[in-house]
Amino acid sequence: MIPIGKALIIDDEPHVRKYIGLVLRSIGITTLVEAANGVEGFAAYQREKPDLVLLDVNMPIQDGIETLKQIRTFDSEAVVIMLTSLTTRQTVEEAADQGALHYIRKDTPRDELIVLLKQLLSDEPDDEESA
Amino acid sequence: MPPSGHSITRHMVPNAEEPDLVDLKGSKILLVDDDRLNLRILRGMLKGEDFVLAEADSAEAALALYDEFKPDLVLMDVLLPGMSGFEACRELRKRHGAHAAPLIFITAKQEAESVVEGFNAGGVDYIMKPFRQKEVVARIGTHLEIRLLSEKQRTLVDQLSRANAAKNKFLGMAAHDLRNPLASIRGLSEFLRDGTVGDLTPDQLELINLIHQASQNMVSLVNDLLDVATIEAGELKLALAPVALADIMEKSIAMSAREASRKKTVILFDQCEATPVLTLDADKIRQVVDNLLSNAVKYSPPGSTVSVGLRALPLGAHAISVRDQGKGIPEGERDRLFKDFSRLSVQPTGGEKSTGLGLAICRKIVEAHNGTIVAENLPAGGCEFRVTLPPSSTS
Repeated sequence: MIPIGKALIIDDEPHVRKYIGLVLRSIGITTLVEAANGVEGFAAYQREKPDLVLLDVNMPIQDGIETLKQIRTFDSEAVVIMLTSLTTRQTVEEAADQGALHYIRKDTPRDELIVLLKQLLSDEPDDEESA
Repeated sequence: MPPSGHSITRHMVPNAEEPDLVDLKGSKILLVDDDRLNLRILRGMLKGEDFVLAEADSAEAALALYDEFKPDLVLMDVLLPGMSGFEACRELRKRHGAHAAPLIFITAKQEAESVVEGFNAGGVDYIMKPFRQKEVVARIGTHLEIRLLSEKQRTLVDQLSRANAAKNKFLGMAAHDLRNPLASIRGLSEFLRDGTVGDLTPDQLELINLIHQASQNMVSLVNDLLDVATIEAGELKLALAPVALADIMEKSIAMSAREASRKKTVILFDQCEATPVLTLDADKIRQVVDNLLSNAVKYSPPGSTVSVGLRALPLGAHAISVRDQGKGIPEGERDRLFKDFSRLSVQPTGGEKSTGLGLAICRKIVEAHNGTIVAENLPAGGCEFRVTLPPSSTS
């Protein structure tokens, strides 16, 4: 697994941030930063320089795809995993085009989620094919 | 939801207007004849019927009057100066298609052979001269009634399909807004249960387990509802790619093995020698196999054997079969098996839950692959579900 010291979770729902936070802790990520929308999220990215971002797609104020663009423009090496509730092909393709590493559905059972995250983070983050 | 309740869809059908009260009063009838005497006779015969009448003495005049008068029925002479009645009828059909008013031809007895041509031109009936009042009134009444009823039917079908679309949209939204919080409740309760955030007393653990179980059931239900809504809204899109069918089945068996071992049930997999690679939506087909396996385990008594098979059929088709050792499909309930929200009278053997949607979803997925899904009871007891996929499944 690539070394992740700090992760940023951007989602408008507190229970999702808490849950995803616990999942990340269980795979050994100890420093977590949270943001409740895209604008706060991008500001937090610039300030905190996290090694990993978990980014919700549907958010008020500024959606995930727009935030993904900002983050990837600011830092072309940024490792971003999208959080989705409904996976439409369009969202997945858009996210992939903007350089997201992958997407995960929020309703994925916890154990599957942990396996998936471990798998994703063991890949080379620059490998565009894995997106 | 009660374990064996009635289908909830039954209560969702809007009240249909009673169609048996068809009021023909005020119906508009366009009479077309170049013979003034005929027009007068017809007018007299229809006097007592409360129709609104308009008259034209040529096909051309009738066509001009049609758009303004908007008749519910046209009575048209065949032989007219200039354009014939047949031509006028074809013209009306061309202009208004299925919405054209029904047209009854007026023919003379000696023109019997022209009756066929009249039907070919799109006429719905004919009235022979000399007129008999009862016949004229009866034929006009019949066709007005047919028109009115089919209009009502069309409106009703429109209303129903709009209501159904709204229902699907609502279902999708509700499921969407329910699923995330439920997934969080389920996930957070798992962390509590694991002691990740501190140790629990046995009483606390029991409560957490109940919360977890309940949220798990609700996530499954919401997922099923969302599947049905998506499929019915015509948004079932297949992501087709070549995949080894046996791989999908092995993954599915591995996943079901956990639940099976809880009931001391064994899942056996008997696959054909060649490993077929088919073009299909792997996730969706996996969902079908998952569902069939989970049902087989659910409805077989503890300690059973579930047999899964994969066979090559002639002409490149393949069959997936899942056999259980349950009670089989009760007599007379087979036609409900693959319908939305229908649960049969047989109960799961280990207190498991059922939404009554799983097999309906399976059928829709398999049919989207141009395949078939059938179920039959086995002579030795239990039943077999068989999915047949064509050589190259396409949407």
